[in-house]
Amino acid sequence: MRKLRASIIKEIQLILQDRVGLLLMYLMPILLVFIITIVQDSAFKLVKDNQLDLLVVNKDKGELGEKFTAILEKTGNFNLEKDPKADLKSIKGLTIEKQKLISIYIPENFSQNMSGNAQHLTKIMLTEFGMIDENSPSSESVKNEIQLFYDPVLQENFRFTLVNNLQTVLNSMENAQMVEQIFKEMGYDEIPEKIKKQLSQKQTEIKITSASNSLGGSIPNSTQHNVPAWSIFAMFFMVISLGGNLVKERLSGSFIRLQTIPSAFILTIWSKMVVYLFVALSQLAILFSIGVYLFPYLSLPQLAIPASILQLFVVSFLSAMAAISYSILVGTYAKTQEQANGFGSISIIMFAAIGGIWVPLFVMPDYLQTIAKLSPLHWCMEGFYTIFLKNGEWNQLTGPIIYLLLFTFACQFLTFIKLRIQNYI
Amino acid sequence: MDNVIDIQELTKQYKNADALSLDIQSLEIVRGEKFGIFGPNGAGKTTLISILCGIIEPTTGSAHYHLDGDHHSVKSVLTSIGFVPQDFAFYPELTPVQNLLYFGRLYDIPKVNLLQKIDYLLDSVGLMHVKRKKINTFSGGMKRRINLAIGLINDPKILFLDEPTVGVDVQSKVAIFRLLDELNAKGTTIIYTSHHLKEAEDFCDRIALLDHGKIIKIGSLSGLLSSNSMTNLEELLISLTGNTLRD
Repeated sequence: MRKLRASIIKEIQLILQDRVGLLLMYLMPILLVFIITIVQDSAFKLVKDNQLDLLVVNKDKGELGEKFTAILEKTGNFNLEKDPKADLKSIKGLTIEKQKLISIYIPENFSQNMSGNAQHLTKIMLTEFGMIDENSPSSESVKNEIQLFYDPVLQENFRFTLVNNLQTVLNSMENAQMVEQIFKEMGYDEIPEKIKKQLSQKQTEIKITSASNSLGGSIPNSTQHNVPAWSIFAMFFMVISLGGNLVKERLSGSFIRLQTIPSAFILTIWSKMVVYLFVALSQLAILFSIGVYLFPYLSLPQLAIPASILQLFVVSFLSAMAAISYSILVGTYAKTQEQANGFGSISIIMFAAIGGIWVPLFVMPDYLQTIAKLSPLHWCMEGFYTIFLKNGEWNQLTGPIIYLLLFTFACQFLTFIKLRIQNYI
Repeated sequence: MDNVIDIQELTKQYKNADALSLDIQSLEIVRGEKFGIFGPNGAGKTTLISILCGIIEPTTGSAHYHLDGDHHSVKSVLTSIGFVPQDFAFYPELTPVQNLLYFGRLYDIPKVNLLQKIDYLLDSVGLMHVKRKKINTFSGGMKRRINLAIGLINDPKILFLDEPTVGVDVQSKVAIFRLLDELNAKGTTIIYTSHHLKEAEDFCDRIALLDHGKIIKIGSLSGLLSSNSMTNLEELLISLTGNTLRD
């Protein structure tokens, strides 16, 4: 025990001397979690809370173009600027010049076409019901369109969401036109007030609920996703410090001396595991504390700590052991420090990419989703998501626990084989 | 003879090597002697020392240690062996005291004895004044001296030295040999290898000349020189191993 304590003290002394390693292990994850959470939260707010800069060029001679513009303004989603003098030729240039993310061009016959189409559809319906004569005069259906121009920096998913929203507004206007037309055909001057009021109300609400056991009714947010995910990524990045440190020690000659001291070598490996286990768990503790205590002051959603602290500890411990064992494996097989750093960091980036840290797994093709199961980061994330997002039961953690245990044992076994071949143990 | 190490039919063939790197039929090292192993590059000196210190396993044969009246394998006498490798084998980011404390604790030396031992060793190698400075700020000679001090932390009965004076100034060299003579006078057997043949002439009681993994001559320096009609070790080595450059 005294020997192990001596090895642990030596490891702590070495780690305290490695300023770059400490920065990589503690500062980098904090920055990563901050940046990614802020970026994702802003992107979410861009759609949900923030106002998109919108230029409207309304050339409509009727009143529906103005009504459409008013509805968009009323949604509060747009910082709307009208430019009646602009035309179809200048709108592209104006979009960029005025730094608008999108511009909408409403043509001069927009109202006429929308009313005409509503009238046409109404006539078909009433004829079908036998309420009017099919030979009575009516306008034909015509193609009605508005044009949308966007800044190329606007990503496809935002564009897609925006177009859907605009289409919803247009559909509701078309429906309103059709109902109004029906009432006109029935001899009313306008739609009765109580029906108008009823129509303006949403008939069906969408209630959003997370499919987790219980998170106090809160909906998972960018913090709940990002803090665990990027903490795992940062934890595995200890490969640069631990893996590199192992190669450096091996090449420096100290390992040769350790081989001449009974059981010193295996104690060195164990002490590294103990010290880096503390590093990994302290990384998580710091990052989770930042999520809980600091994020609310930065207008970011607060991290909700799972109800079961035991589950949190088990998943954290197993993830840390997987990261440590992988780092030691890389450090054992690498011939130079450059090799350990290069291979270690690239492999972690690849594990993170296929493991779903950067992009959700469900958007990946099937074969990548299968490959993802080989990534230890995927299983760490599965474990953390089960407790952070789903507030899951122990049986839901079986997969991550078994995989992480197997991964840890496999790494340690391969390390043992290599060290045995090299006569270190 | 009171042998401390007996070697019988010891061979080593490295993976992918065509020939044996070491092939020693018999070698005895006497308790308390200063034994030198010399030879050109690739002669097998480091391989022999590595086997004797338990760093690598021999392909065949074995070395037996006679300590406390019993026969031991290398693994069971590791605590009685001191090793000073040619490469610096310490943690340069730490201070001499931190290094000595760490290696001393690995030998399970009680704290009070260890602190006394550290002071004695640092004083002996002239590093007392820098005992709390990081080693990576030291000169080559200072590093060589701390490398030696760490090898002595466990009061070894047998001390292996692989090129202990490479790159050191004459003052450091004198200090190192003074300490080694002191240890030897107290009964420590020293097994020494170097390319500095003049040093060997002054220091060693007995020497073995190795080439292509085999012992080609063994005996006292004066005996070897007179039986081969040579005046110094360098002449003798060249006459026995030739002038061809070795890899």
